[in-house]
Amino acid sequence: MKREDSTLLNKYGKDPGFKVPENYFEDFNKRMADILPDVEITPVDVKPTMWQRLKPLAYMAAMFAGVWCMMTVFSHFTGSNIDGVRAVAEKLNEDNRNVDDFIMSGSVSDYDILNYEDSVMMSNEEVMLNDNE
Amino acid sequence: MAAREKYDEALVVEQLHNQATCKAAFGKVIEHYSSQLYWQIRRMVIDHDDANDVLQNTFLKAWTSIDNFRGDAKLSTWLYKIAINESITFVNKKKAINQLSIDDDESFLVNQLESDEWFDGDEAQINLQKAIASLPEKQRLVFNLRYYDEMKYDEMSEILGTSEGALKASYHHAVKKIEQFLGERE
Repeated sequence: MKREDSTLLNKYGKDPGFKVPENYFEDFNKRMADILPDVEITPVDVKPTMWQRLKPLAYMAAMFAGVWCMMTVFSHFTGSNIDGVRAVAEKLNEDNRNVDDFIMSGSVSDYDILNYEDSVMMSNEEVMLNDNE
Repeated sequence: MAAREKYDEALVVEQLHNQATCKAAFGKVIEHYSSQLYWQIRRMVIDHDDANDVLQNTFLKAWTSIDNFRGDAKLSTWLYKIAINESITFVNKKKAINQLSIDDDESFLVNQLESDEWFDGDEAQINLQKAIASLPEKQRLVFNLRYYDEMKYDEMSEILGTSEGALKASYHHAVKKIEQFLGERE
């Protein structure tokens, strides 16, 4: 896919024409290191907190609780209430209200959306200009 | 000549939090990042001497607040944030000195480019810099980071605190405006 900045890159390249004095960075690094004032460093506490230690266990417990809930719900529906489930399914199939509309987002690229935005902005500006006239 | 020591960010961050090793570690940070931060600052402030001052302030600010850097973000992200804030502050101060409004664009920075000792670009490059300087501040930043540094949008998003979608849109609009600006002058 063609880059949107390819026209600029082909015409102007990436060198803006800026220069620095010879050995500028070597000199700067030395100069900078020499002028650093003294600072007080607080040692970082690397000991993990109680929550950090318990977090994996808490996540695992939540996962098992979720699985247990799902199994309870499934066993409820697959047991004695099968007619109720069928009735709900038939009701849902009566009309198409529960069918979601969706956009084929895979076929629309960011570049297309941005170009569309530009065209809308330009047409708005034209309308404003016409209004002003 | 001694071989340059390989830069290991995890090790350097660890050394930065140790009183005995922090200064030497920050020296390695300066050595590793001075060039890339300089060019980002230079593209914002244009003049070499100004870029030198802003780069110095950036490292001084980073050093004096090194205790606040806990390694939650990447060191490069943190340094870029400081450098960008320092550049914006500097440009706004320069606008005030030149009695310009904070909402005016940065074209005044490019006006002396032709006579700049540390610029050897041609007329086309001057026009490109004028076009970039005419952009709003955020678009200018995004354009410079993407066009010259090829920075990824996710990294830029962390530095500028803006969503990737908004950054892509900013870059797209910046490119269009620059092309329009240059087209009008051809």
